Amino acid sequence: MNMQHLGQTANPQVLINGVSFNADPGQRPVVVDGCATITQLFQQRCAAQGARTAHREKDMGIWKAYSWQDYWDHSKWIGLGLMSLGLKRGEVVSILSEDRREWLYSDMGVQGAGGIASGVYTTDSASQLAYLVNDSDSRFLFVENDEQLDKYLEIADQVPGLAKVIIYEREGLHDLDHEKCLFIDELYEMGKAYEAQHPGAYEAEIAKTRPEDTALLIYTSGTTGMPKGAMLSNENILASIEAGARALEFTGNDEQLCFLPLCHILERNVSVYFPLAATSTVNFAESPETVFDNMQEVSPATFFAVPRVWEKIYSRVLVLAQEATPIGRMAFHAAIKAGRKRAEYVMHGKPVPSGVAANYAIWDFLVLRNLRRMLGMDKMRRGGTGAAPISPELLSWYWSIGVPLIEGYGMTENAGLSTTNTFESNAPGTVGPAVPGVKLRIAEDGEIQTLGLNNFQGYWRNNEKTAETFTDDGWLRTGDVGRLDEKGNLTITGRIKDIIITAGGKNITPAEIESRLKFSHYISDAVVIGDARKYLTCLIMIDQENVEKFAQDRKIPFSDFASLCAAEEVVQLIGAEVEAVNKEFARVEQIKDFRLINVLLTAEDDELTATMKLKRSFVEKKHKALIDDMY
Amino acid sequence: MGEPLLEIKNLESFYGPIMAIRGVSLKVDKGQIVTVLGANGAGKSTLLKTISGIMDPEKGEVLFGGKPIQGEEPHKIVSRGIVHVPEGREVFPLLTVNENLSLGAYTRSDKAEIERDREMVFDYFPILAERRDQEAGTLSGGQQQMLAIGRGLMLRPKIMLLDEPSLGLSPLLVQEIFAILRRLNTEEHVTMMLVEQNARIALELADIGYVMEIGRIVMDGTADRLMQSEDIQSFYLGHQEEGQRGEKRWKRKKTWR
Repeated sequence: MNMQHLGQTANPQVLINGVSFNADPGQRPVVVDGCATITQLFQQRCAAQGARTAHREKDMGIWKAYSWQDYWDHSKWIGLGLMSLGLKRGEVVSILSEDRREWLYSDMGVQGAGGIASGVYTTDSASQLAYLVNDSDSRFLFVENDEQLDKYLEIADQVPGLAKVIIYEREGLHDLDHEKCLFIDELYEMGKAYEAQHPGAYEAEIAKTRPEDTALLIYTSGTTGMPKGAMLSNENILASIEAGARALEFTGNDEQLCFLPLCHILERNVSVYFPLAATSTVNFAESPETVFDNMQEVSPATFFAVPRVWEKIYSRVLVLAQEATPIGRMAFHAAIKAGRKRAEYVMHGKPVPSGVAANYAIWDFLVLRNLRRMLGMDKMRRGGTGAAPISPELLSWYWSIGVPLIEGYGMTENAGLSTTNTFESNAPGTVGPAVPGVKLRIAEDGEIQTLGLNNFQGYWRNNEKTAETFTDDGWLRTGDVGRLDEKGNLTITGRIKDIIITAGGKNITPAEIESRLKFSHYISDAVVIGDARKYLTCLIMIDQENVEKFAQDRKIPFSDFASLCAAEEVVQLIGAEVEAVNKEFARVEQIKDFRLINVLLTAEDDELTATMKLKRSFVEKKHKALIDDMY
Repeated sequence: MGEPLLEIKNLESFYGPIMAIRGVSLKVDKGQIVTVLGANGAGKSTLLKTISGIMDPEKGEVLFGGKPIQGEEPHKIVSRGIVHVPEGREVFPLLTVNENLSLGAYTRSDKAEIERDREMVFDYFPILAERRDQEAGTLSGGQQQMLAIGRGLMLRPKIMLLDEPSLGLSPLLVQEIFAILRRLNTEEHVTMMLVEQNARIALELADIGYVMEIGRIVMDGTADRLMQSEDIQSFYLGHQEEGQRGEKRWKRKKTWR
């Protein structure tokens, strides 16, 4: 079936963890085991893996396994079902659901039928859904359950282009009667019926797909303006797989845990496309709230998370340690100390002196391995972090407890991966060198630019924005500012658009100050303000758990979140953190005043992105009164 | 506004290894009715038990008239004027109504005043006067609740801690008892701290409300403000938002603002 593409595979191949890639990365055609598109690879994997477990999902509290054959069958039925309902090549289908296997089935089903899959965050409102469906010109929409369906029903008359809405869960919807709605099992039946009439139709569509065809749309979180749909081609994703396989080891025996939104390129790569190449097993967390429990149960071999998650795990451990017996606490601190000594070497890839290693071995045996088991990190070969800056302190803490954690960098527009640290060359504090096959440069104004086959095709129906995103010589403008060291390691200092020019005419990169602030356990996020102002100020979102603990330990009375933010001692605490950060910066870059955001924000709020980062523009608008109060 | 009559600061209480109250702070001013709302297991009753000395807090302070009283024996706390009307009435079933009321005044010796208070209780709860010689165990649930409140009043308390007075009572009886609580507050100036699951009736009665969830206060404010809160409406008052299909199984996420 792949003869044609194998014929194209003129490049010499190399085996990486049992998967064949071009020996020279970054060359056309990009192939993974001879496949040049996502669905070809999907087809080949399902045929070869068959009854092996591809996914696990919890059902009524019990982990159930689903095979590669299930993956293939259901995806095929979805693809054929949609074709029978009139889906044409190049049309978009939106998916509005939490992570679950049907999400992946829909992704592969749509792509196999020649369509383009586009994810919608479950935290998006009905009006955001209307915008996304209309902007992408979606023909079909998958929704998870009654809650998400209600969003569609609210805006049904605003999205006339939708032919059908397919619902994953029947619960609570037994008497649903809507001409455009059907359930997933009904779609499966349609797919089966279509297959009976048109045998091999799905396989034929897969064979038609070219590497340059758009495979998915990813709407960027849009910290400014409306979200834009980034078009990623098959080749883009395969280039990302190629780079990922080289820089980060994945194997077929790996267990993984999927919990970040699949609409996000990071989780999509790590939980859908990388496992297609590696044939690792993906376990779906029950809900964002149960991630830590699911971690323990799954004990993943590799784990990617945003810094916020790594911070949470760290806070949990510290709280547990404080509540331990005095002996337990002493042992914990001694173990961390021994771990830190070793981390100073291993983190930087240096050989560990035997004394340090022996000391670590004892504490590892007594404390650390138990800690790792408790966290579900006992089998973790590699932890990964990205999508936001992480504190070097935190990185080294994880290395100290024996969890190798490395930082990488990428964005939707370059298919999620452009640089990463590796165990061979780890430079903590930087996001590492460019991944194989990707070139990196710093423009005159400091902007980071990348070039590679992973660079996206452009924004969906938005040539103007696309043109702004590429340089004249075809490099991608990341919009980030940074610097390269002599070894090629990249350090990111901020967003170019966020650069503040104070009334005094000074250029300041707020992200640098913000990420320093965020490294405090008491600050979960911060937005520095000062454009065209006399001095810098800052809005701060406190870390609820840690500040509550602080208040409780010091007997500072508080009731709800607002009263916690209003407590004088809490303001002083944050003030001290701000002062400490101020010392690291020049006078003009120092924060003169700050306010706490006294509302506990959730992902549903406009001010937060789905990965819980504050959006500068929204924050500035919504909390204008607080800001004005500081000037 | 002077010093609050009752102030709780950063209270933590445990049942064995289980932390039932995880840092609660609240205030009750003299003459106020303050309600603490919350679902089963939120820690409401534990909070009252910790105030009245039945349980000792692990951490934190209970200030009564500015003086710390946490960890004192229950009988000492009663003598300070804090009366606990426990959940599920707990009247003495084999004693008569009259005897139950007398026990409420156990720590007092001013006979004439006690008799006046007994008449006052009968005044507020005429049904108890009718059944004064009947064994308390033969009373209906509502009457037992009235007796438990009446018994508490016999101490002339500075503050009454009421643990779910609406529990297991018919809506009509609940209305009746809460109307009497209202009168006791306005006419006799009894300060009350009321723990309730029935949020609607509690917020109608109270001046100030606190919402507890798994051992923590998640929201507080005047009763009017809490009544207006969307979260309170959908999680405690049972308001159904207009669903798209005329029915709705899923609940919005709580934000507590």
